[in-house]
Formats: sequence, structure tokens, C-alpha cells
Amino acid sequence: MRSLLLGAIFTSLILISGCGPNSGESVEDGLKIVVIPKGTTHEFWKSIHAGAIKAKQELKAKGQSVEIIWKGPLKEDDRDEQIKVVENFISSGVDGMVLAPLDNKALVRPVETANNAKIPVVIIDSGLESDKYTSFVSTDNYAGGKMGGDYLGKLLAGKGNVLMLRYAVGSASTTNREQGFLDAIKEKYPDIKVLSSDQYAGATRELAYTVSQNLLSRYNTEVNGIFCPNESVTVSMTKALRDLGKAKGKVKVVGFDTSVQSLRDLEGGDVQGLVVQNPVRMGYLGVKTLVSHLAGDVVSKRIDTGVAMVTKANMLESEIQELINPPIEKYLGAGN
Amino acid sequence: MNWSRLSSSEFLKAMRPFVGLFLVLALFALDSELRTVFFKGSNFKTILTQTVIVAIGAMGMTLVIVSGGIDLCAGSVVALASVVAAKLIEYNYGFLTVTFGTIFVGAIVGLFNGGIITAFRMMPFIVTLGMMGIARGISKWLANNQTVNPKTPLDSVNQLMDNSQSPLTFFPLPDGVWFAIGLAVFMAILLRRSVFGRHVFAIGSNEDTARLCGIRVNLNKVLIYTLAGAFFGFAGVMQFSRLTQGDPSVAIGLELQIIAAVVIGGASLSGGAGSIPGSVIGAFMMASLANGSSIKDWPNYMQEIIIGIVIILAVGMDKLEPLLQRHLNKQKH
Repeated sequence: MRSLLLGAIFTSLILISGCGPNSGESVEDGLKIVVIPKGTTHEFWKSIHAGAIKAKQELKAKGQSVEIIWKGPLKEDDRDEQIKVVENFISSGVDGMVLAPLDNKALVRPVETANNAKIPVVIIDSGLESDKYTSFVSTDNYAGGKMGGDYLGKLLAGKGNVLMLRYAVGSASTTNREQGFLDAIKEKYPDIKVLSSDQYAGATRELAYTVSQNLLSRYNTEVNGIFCPNESVTVSMTKALRDLGKAKGKVKVVGFDTSVQSLRDLEGGDVQGLVVQNPVRMGYLGVKTLVSHLAGDVVSKRIDTGVAMVTKANMLESEIQELINPPIEKYLGAGN
Repeated sequence: MNWSRLSSSEFLKAMRPFVGLFLVLALFALDSELRTVFFKGSNFKTILTQTVIVAIGAMGMTLVIVSGGIDLCAGSVVALASVVAAKLIEYNYGFLTVTFGTIFVGAIVGLFNGGIITAFRMMPFIVTLGMMGIARGISKWLANNQTVNPKTPLDSVNQLMDNSQSPLTFFPLPDGVWFAIGLAVFMAILLRRSVFGRHVFAIGSNEDTARLCGIRVNLNKVLIYTLAGAFFGFAGVMQFSRLTQGDPSVAIGLELQIIAAVVIGGASLSGGAGSIPGSVIGAFMMASLANGSSIKDWPNYMQEIIIGIVIILAVGMDKLEPLLQRHLNKQKH
């Protein structure tokens, strides 16, 4: 009885899989591109997704049909899960990948696997310690840090004492920003003294707040300007300054990246400037670069997506608005 | 095992994971888009490689669950082991020292688990829950809260899970897959045929009876948790090889995946039932589901829902079978 039943299932399966061979093969010559972010819930990644869709719409208008698959790791910020996603799409045979690697070493092998399987990979957002990729499309963080240093120097009219709170050990993007800031101060503003630049805030906002308080209680009376290399440090440092009554421009703050809170601080005058990246452009150029590579064009190995300085004065301009309030709905609304 | 002498319900139980896997593959075969992509040698190599860590963990977990216990610190031990492996490689040790050193660390954690559980008659759930935090904490401490990247990589360890050189063919399979298959065969025989294996089942079925029968329950329990820890340690070596770095934040929640694989494989959380082939098939089935969902471009939340349903269904079949049996018997009369 049992074997009969199993046999029946088995034969029906063979029959089903036998009929209509190749019925699923798509005949359209569209490109299948997978975009793999570090996670899917953060605003930053949604902006990148929006940029990828923008590129798709533009290419479609030019007669090049592209299918964008958006697939993050099952668990946010899990290296092994991201490796699995890359591997699965190598097996499924997509035409190309746009990847924001969660780690500059752990993702090297999967990218080399893709390379061996003749699938081109464009790296976005964060670097990879390999050269087996087609192009690296991201913010020039060093230039961003320099921009922050220039602006803070200008705010202080070239003299005074500044300090910089680093983000975390081993984070490549913020380390580059920090170096850019220090170089800008050293080259252009010889009269500005850097009080401290060797403290690390750590990964969480809570830690950053504690370290900020400790730093400020040490340099409370001397400090005139502060540079923060990312969002969590900016918000925590500003909060610590407010506690001491040193906010509202008494101590100038230049931060990096935006969030609801840091924009509120900028509007309220507690923060004087924020260096912002352009994630929409990152997603957009990631896909566009990959498609031109697939079309046989030579693409640049390094593409800078640019940074901008947001201040209270310019934050309402439409160009800046597009950066701090990216048009996510326009691209990720219904139908996409 | 003598299959012909098994009763029909036992047969069904033993076959359950295979039927489950068969159903999943059958569903994939029905879909014309998946059929062309999923059933490729290269894709099966990918799935097998992704199964290795959960499968090796599931072998240790099967011992624990069959004996009526549970081990919640598997994921943390994998993370700890991956950090230990990275540290050992930093000190320029060779393949054998790195592998066995790491396995040894896992076994030590297991020894603590088993020792505390038997010495103080504490619930395995609580002890291993505590150890989950302790092992995770120690791995972060050892790693100084960052990933550990050995300056000179040890190729023999890195190659364990490397399939980057031949992404388009089934063979050669990475060494890690062969290790896992070999271990599975060995453990299946150990659990079914050896005196130790029968003791594991006896303890899980009824601890008091086992004690009355003269089985040294405490000694066996310590041995079971130590062995399980060793398996998690070995899974940690594989985890290191996959990331080519020691990562103290890796494998969070892995213990639940491992437990799911064991349960899908026919084990009962109340002990006394379970098998190594079942657990390994369970692990393979979960990796296949994840792979298929990726290829189908289902969003991540769909994938999580589907795997959840499969776990409930797999265990639900336990309850369904007696009902079906009764129904069939009624029809006969």
C-alpha cells in the first residue's frame, strides 16, 4: 500500500516535470541584476534601492530592459547570511551583481567565486580587499572628512582648539573620514590645535554618549570645535554638549550623515554642519556602471558619488532636500 | 537495522525527513523557473556547502536531544570556536593543532555544561542558556570586540569550505562537505550500534529506568554534552573557514536552526527519539528551502514564514500519523 502510494507520487512527479520542458525559459533579452545591501530596514539602504530603480526606469526608457532583484541578508548585518545570498545568486546565474559588502575580508571569496563564474560584481558603499570586482562605486570618505575639516576651520576663522571623537576600531569608511579631517586641519589651518583625536566612541549610541561626556569633562573649557565622523557620534556628542550648556554654537559641531535627530539639532543651531553622502546616486550609479560593463564598455575602477555640506542656511534648497529627504516613495511606491 | 521488522508507524517515522525533503524538492520541480536553475550540480554544491555548519552542529545536538536534554549555547560556541581558530592561526599553528585545539575548546564548554547539569541536577535549558551568554561574552572578550583576521592565512583551513575555484560544476566538493558526510556516517553507526548510543536512547526514554538498569547516567550525560560541545567546536572551524576570519558576532540564533533541523529530522524534544541521518537531512532541507526562496526572489519575510510552517508541519506529522492510522484501521473493519 505504502510503496504503491509513494510510487504513484513519484511517477506523477516525473510526469509533471517531464511535460512542458523549458516552459519557464524567458525569451526576453533583459538583464537580470541582483542588488545586495547590508540590510534592508535602514533608510540608507532604501535610498540605495530607490537609486537602483531609478537606473532601471531610465534604462528602460532607452530600450534596455533590466530586472532588479533586491535581496539583503536574512539577518541584518550577518556576514554569513550575506555570503549565502551571493552564493545562491551565483548558482542561479544572474547577469551581474551590485554588492555592499558587510566586511572587507569575509566577502572576498564569494566575490572571487562570482568572478570565476563570469558574473561581474560592482561594489558599492564599502570597500573590499580584492581586485576581482568591476568597479567600486561609493562616497570618497577621505574627501568627505576633508570637507568637514575645511568647514570647521572656516567656522573658527582659522584659530582655536578642536577635538575629534573617532567612531570604532577597524571601520574603514570612518577611519578615512577622520584622516581627511585631520589632514585638512593640518594643511590649511596651522593655528588650530587638535586637543584629542585618539578616542573611540564604539558601536552603540550609548557608548558614544559616555565617551563624549568623558572627553568634554576633560576639555570643557578649551574646546572650540568638534568633528564627529558618523551619525551616532554626532548625535551623542551634541547631546553631551547640550547637557553642559555648550550647545547653540558656543562649541561648533560638524558631523557626518543625517538622521531625524541630527537634522533637528542642525535646525536648532546645536550642530553647524553635516557632511552627507548620496546613497540614491550610489544605487543608481551601481546599476548603471554594471549595465555599461555588460554592454562591453570600459568602466572606471573607482567612481565617487560625492558628498555635500548641509547647513542651516542651505537645508531648504531643493538639491539638498533631495539628499536629506531622498525621494524613496517615488521609486519604491506601488508598481516597483 | 532490520527494516522489515519495524512496525509501519515506526517506518513512517524513520522515513519522515526523507518524505519531507522529497516533498520540498517535488514542489521546486513543479515550478518551471526553479526547475531549470535549482536542479543543477553547481547549485547542489552551494546548498551542500551551506548545510555543513548546521549539519555538524545537528549531529551534536541530536545526541543531546535524544538523551532528553537541550543545548542552547551551540551558536555561541560556534562563534567562540571561530575566534579561537583565528587566534591559533595568528600564532602560526598548523592545520591539526588549529582544528583539534578549537574542537577541544568546544568540548571544554560542553564539559562545563554536562558537569553543572549533573552535579547540581539543574535543567539543561537554564544551564545552557547561561552558557550561551558566557561563551558569547568570552568570544567577544578574546576577539577584543572585533573580527580577528590572521595576517598570514592558513590555506588548509580556509579551503575547508572553499568552492570559489569551480563555481559551475558539482565536483570537486569542498573538503568540509566530505568531513561532514564522513562524520554523519560514523555518528549514525555510533548512535545505532554502540553501547554508548543505546545508553543515550535509554536515558532519553526514561532516566530513572536507565539508572535502575545500571547505566551510569551522570557519566553518560557529561560525555554527551562534551561530545556535543566538540561538534559545535568543529562547526566553528567550518564557520571560520567560510568567513576566513574569526567573528564573535557570528551565528547568533544558530542554535535554533540546529534544533529545528534535529526536530524536522524526527527527534522528540522529550527525548528517546531521533536519528543522525534524519537531522542531517533536516539541515539539508532547510538550506534547500532558503536557496530555493532566494532563486525564486521571494522576499526574506516569506522565507522566514515558510521555514516556520515547515517546522510546525514536520512535528505536526507526529500527531497526524496516529489519527490517519486509526482512520485506516476503521475502514478495514
